[in-house]
Amino acid sequence: MTRWLAFVVLAGCANLRVVPLPPEAERHRPKTSDGWELSLVRYRPQGPPTGRPVLLCHGISANERNMDLDDGHSMARWFAAQGREAWTMSVRATGASDGPDPQKGRALPIRFDHYWQHDLPTAIEHVRRTTGADRIDYVGHSMGGMIAYAYLSQGGQRLHAVATLGSPTRLDWGTGLERLLKAVGPMVVRDDVMLPSQLGAHLSAPFQTAVDDGPFQRFFYNPQSTRPETWQRLVAYGTADTAGGTARQLLTLVETSRFGSADGAHDFRAEMSTIRTPVIVVAAKLDRVALTPAVKDGFRALGGPKRWLLITRANGAAGEYGHMDLVIGERAPDEVFRPVLDFFNEHEQPTGTH
Amino acid sequence: MTALLVLALAASPELTVAHRRVTAPDGVALAVYRYARPGVSTTLPPVMLVPELGFSRAAFDFEGRGLARWLAASGRTVFVVELRGQGKAGPGFSLEAMGRDLRVVLDRLQLSQVDLVVHGWAGSAVLALNADEARVRRVIALATPLLAEIPSALAEAFLVEGGRFTTLAGSPAGARTFELLFSMGGEFPTGTDRAFLSTGTRDLTRPVAAELLAWMRQGDLPLGDESVVSRLVRLRRPTLLLLGLADGFANPELAAVWRERAPDVVRLRTFSRMETREDFSHLSMLLGRHAPTQVFPLIAEFLSEDLP
Repeated sequence: MTRWLAFVVLAGCANLRVVPLPPEAERHRPKTSDGWELSLVRYRPQGPPTGRPVLLCHGISANERNMDLDDGHSMARWFAAQGREAWTMSVRATGASDGPDPQKGRALPIRFDHYWQHDLPTAIEHVRRTTGADRIDYVGHSMGGMIAYAYLSQGGQRLHAVATLGSPTRLDWGTGLERLLKAVGPMVVRDDVMLPSQLGAHLSAPFQTAVDDGPFQRFFYNPQSTRPETWQRLVAYGTADTAGGTARQLLTLVETSRFGSADGAHDFRAEMSTIRTPVIVVAAKLDRVALTPAVKDGFRALGGPKRWLLITRANGAAGEYGHMDLVIGERAPDEVFRPVLDFFNEHEQPTGTH
Repeated sequence: MTALLVLALAASPELTVAHRRVTAPDGVALAVYRYARPGVSTTLPPVMLVPELGFSRAAFDFEGRGLARWLAASGRTVFVVELRGQGKAGPGFSLEAMGRDLRVVLDRLQLSQVDLVVHGWAGSAVLALNADEARVRRVIALATPLLAEIPSALAEAFLVEGGRFTTLAGSPAGARTFELLFSMGGEFPTGTDRAFLSTGTRDLTRPVAAELLAWMRQGDLPLGDESVVSRLVRLRRPTLLLLGLADGFANPELAAVWRERAPDVVRLRTFSRMETREDFSHLSMLLGRHAPTQVFPLIAEFLSEDLP
């Protein structure tokens, strides 16, 4: 037993080395108006620019490396290879962005509202100032897409076209997870803590490839589309602690079906009807985190122009996708990134001032 | 009921299955199968099961397994109804005519109250056309869309070709289409899904395939001055809506929104493999290996619980 365990850990650890960013990756650290430095990574376009810069934002409990895991699994480098300047970002207290430090004025709680009110506007302005673009395109995975929904619904500017990947606007679809979150969530999630999701991910990382069809595989990715070793690398260095305030705010989606601000002043879902920025909403058929009804709810709420893209073999994909396959799937460049880029290009002005 | 013909005994020696033909006013024959355990009585009303378009009684009773026998074994009297275009019923050329058949069956069987279990697009049409039917006490809606939409390119192609199940059974490509639309990821007793495709389905008629396609493309199905959406949201019967994440023919995102429109009436349960043994597809929700332990008990519980 001990030998087996040691073998599993050693074999698992082989994939845990952090793959460093390539030399062409430029690190930037803009500061939000409330005093948090954010980590942004810039990839200049390969060859002549073909369109606007694209800003890429990860989901909850994650960081910028979700969008830039390694050379073979990087939405950022893929967009750069297509001639689009690509930027990844880490929201506050994730990745290489500033963590909480009350003595420096960076106190908890961190709520979802901080992301759309401060972090996203800061990142957009920094990319615009750096590149000279009047507006930029945006891709948000999971909560990263929800941030865009909230930002745009409150009149956020300077996004030219948006893609959301597996981004729910409801979480109350009668699943067992919903009942569990309702029962346990309010008891264990407090505003003023950081939940140690990164530690949990790191501790579990060596075992991620040892268990076939285990809970992580069931919940987060589909081996038809992502190799377990790729997932293991994401767990090793693409995760982050979760702000209790953010988790608490998102729990209200389960408790009340309401997608809104923590203070109750804004009903994002209702106000998404005012959004006129083109949005492509991408859903994975077997996403067990953001179920297709939950993602479709956001699509229906949007004012338009908008497009629905369901990734499934019945629509031509080579395999079924789960939640994380949308960003790290082996065929995601062809089956997800390409349709997103095509959508961005379709909505480009013919005269195109970038 | 004197014309009942006992066809077979179920695995349980007490369970009887009887067949009866009911003729609609326009002369179309409908098929009714009655499952019961003589000597076992319950105060609960009979349960009436209506299969999906192109499906037959086999969706609820295939090779001795399925919801019909499962409910009957628990003491409920069960009727599986094949409306026009389904199973051994006469041909069907209109969704509206099919939906109106339900009332004919209720009348002819002289049933004063039933619990209704419906499946898929047929279920949406039947429920919408019988939204005011006072004899329906409770509803189990299995993968019944509210907001219609083309589920996928493959589903569209299948319907454009006329919804011909017989062509699917004859080739590996057809079998793959059936798998992606109706049985994705499902765990079935050996060979059940393939055998069901061969013997449990029936080609849609061209008019019905075209009508279903138009319904999906337009987002709603007009029914006189109303539509499927307007009628379903005013259905006031307690309803349990069961959805499978892997359903490729009536995608859950088309149906779940019903609960949002009628939260006081519709209770929603979405199956995902995170908590159940599979994600459940259109067919495995009924005939999959795990349906008797993970789907059917929810149905029985809802139909027997005390509701306000």
